[in-house]
Amino acid sequence: MMEMSEKIDLDQFDKEEFLGPSLKSCPGCSATIVARFALKALGKDTIVIIPASCLATLLATNTQTGIKIPYLHALFECGSSTATGVKHAMMRKGKENVNVVTIAGDSGSMDIGFQALSGAAIRNEDIIHICYDNESAMNTGGQLNSCTPFGARTPDWPLGKRLMKKDAPSIMAAHNIPYVATASISHLEDFYMKLKKAKKIKGFRYIHVLSPCPISWGYDGRYTVEIARKAVESGLWMLYEIENGSFNLTYKPERRIPVEEYLRMQRRFDTLTDDDARKVQEIVNELWRRYEE
Amino acid sequence: MNKIELLNGNEAAAYGAMLSGAEIIPVYPITPQTPLIHKISEFIAKGEFDADLIHLESDQSALAAAVGASLGGARVFTATNSQGLLYMAEVCYYASGLRVPIVMAVINRAVSSPHSRYPDHSDAMALKSSHWIQLFCETNQEVLDTAIQMFRICEDRRVLLPGMFSYESYLLSFTWENVEVPEQEKVRKFVGEYNPEHIILDPDDPMTINAPTTPDYLTEFRYKQKIAMDNALKVIREVGKEFQREFGRFYGLIDPYRVEDAEFVIATMGTIASTAKEVVDEMRAEGKKVGVLRIRSFRPFPREEVKKALKSAEAVATIDRNFSAGSNGALYDEMRSALYNTGIPVKGYIAGLGGRNVSKNDIREVFEDLIQKERLEEISWINLRG
Repeated sequence: MMEMSEKIDLDQFDKEEFLGPSLKSCPGCSATIVARFALKALGKDTIVIIPASCLATLLATNTQTGIKIPYLHALFECGSSTATGVKHAMMRKGKENVNVVTIAGDSGSMDIGFQALSGAAIRNEDIIHICYDNESAMNTGGQLNSCTPFGARTPDWPLGKRLMKKDAPSIMAAHNIPYVATASISHLEDFYMKLKKAKKIKGFRYIHVLSPCPISWGYDGRYTVEIARKAVESGLWMLYEIENGSFNLTYKPERRIPVEEYLRMQRRFDTLTDDDARKVQEIVNELWRRYEE
Repeated sequence: MNKIELLNGNEAAAYGAMLSGAEIIPVYPITPQTPLIHKISEFIAKGEFDADLIHLESDQSALAAAVGASLGGARVFTATNSQGLLYMAEVCYYASGLRVPIVMAVINRAVSSPHSRYPDHSDAMALKSSHWIQLFCETNQEVLDTAIQMFRICEDRRVLLPGMFSYESYLLSFTWENVEVPEQEKVRKFVGEYNPEHIILDPDDPMTINAPTTPDYLTEFRYKQKIAMDNALKVIREVGKEFQREFGRFYGLIDPYRVEDAEFVIATMGTIASTAKEVVDEMRAEGKKVGVLRIRSFRPFPREEVKKALKSAEAVATIDRNFSAGSNGALYDEMRSALYNTGIPVKGYIAGLGGRNVSKNDIREVFEDLIQKERLEEISWINLRG
């Protein structure tokens, strides 16, 4: 098992920064970590389209901006369709090497944004889509959505969700796109490797990043990376990639920690009973049993 | 050499897009717009039209892709109507705020429910406040010519707004007329190149687009849209005159027919004007001083031109192929506003909803009402069953 206090060696990443100053993120925000490393990996010749989300809102206000590459704040449900138009214009104007990337939250990817995302994926548009998944509609105050996990309570569902989390990466893999990957902000080398790999592939690429939110999940902002790491180390959030249909586990916890260590750090699981926690553990065990088969 | 072809409204619009050099055409099918898309795909398949036709998964996505393509610097065309246009509504406002000069054909059709695929202006009227230029056509020739003019008007640096040109489903979309198709080279020269500088997504010139604004900022964005729309009044006229010099046909903000000395005038839009013009000829032969004022530009609404054209009118009737419960037809409200303080009474009629026929006899009855000064303050519904 990885040490929780392990330091990341930043020298292994590209030096140029495209974000900040004047970002309006909360302390402990992981959306900015996702965007920061995504843009580092993709480089200057990139256009980023972000549909309504925390990230879209925190990057700029009025005439102030905290992002140094072209950035379009898209309509909530229109990230992938707007990006489709941008990419086609780049091809038309002889700039096909420009990376067109959408960074969307879980609502902008899997709920209101899903029609456009699915459409762009099945057309195999030459776009990278990064979903930063904070498991709620966080820009509006953390309401329930299809990516909220079993047992989590939200301001609009205080008893705790009784339905399952949508398996977004599997749904995207079913579109038979060239590249699907999961990632976590706690495993930056892994995330970065996937971004670099995605950059080289043509066609639709989808990366789903678990992105803890101190406000929605209910923990002190200093634990953002630790919580993300526990999600991976417990086996709840599996790190893998599916390249041209073939599955590859990119990180395997040496010994999976009990999932309750992850769940009990977050106030959103306050109403989760021990029985429910056991149910979550069984789901995780089953996930890995299926993988090992 | 210009050639004469037998074209329906959709085919005329497709020719307009091709001749003008639209580069990217994101679409989603909806009746009765589909033959327009078929024609464009046929042009492309035959190698006659070098355009990128993108098949989106919804009307809303089609317009969102149009916005993205325009922000990427391309000349963009799309088409829709009724349900599709209303599904695009949010993106319509987004596009005009971003000042992307997308040109869109709207093949006016009633909006459900009840379900109807027949002509009605309710779809375009639902978007009358979305800050798009809105022109309404009467013939298939005008559809083709307006498509060409639209690119020039919308891309003009004094305007830079998106624009929709409307023509009614079935009555024009599926009706064939002889249409003069101008030479491609001449049209390309007339339309020119689109080289945006005001807004562009380009890694060599990074812009942040659509940053959230505080109350300190939005008002001025809207005011600039107002100035652009005011400028469009002038630009539509200019482009009309230049088009006439090049191609011999003139279309302005309004289309007055025997209005100059007319005492009783019907103001309307689209094909109802064609029927009304015939009735005017008949009644003029009977010695009655009647005329038709077809409003071609609904946005911007040409108040001054309307007032000037109606200076000898004793009474005016509006015929609206649209209706807003709790209020009136959209044209009625605009005309009342334009004629405020002139002392000219305006009587409103609602007619032709969901494709109901508006006959010559119906038009004649409207003129008779005006002449007899019958119930001028009342809104009447033509052919309403009891």
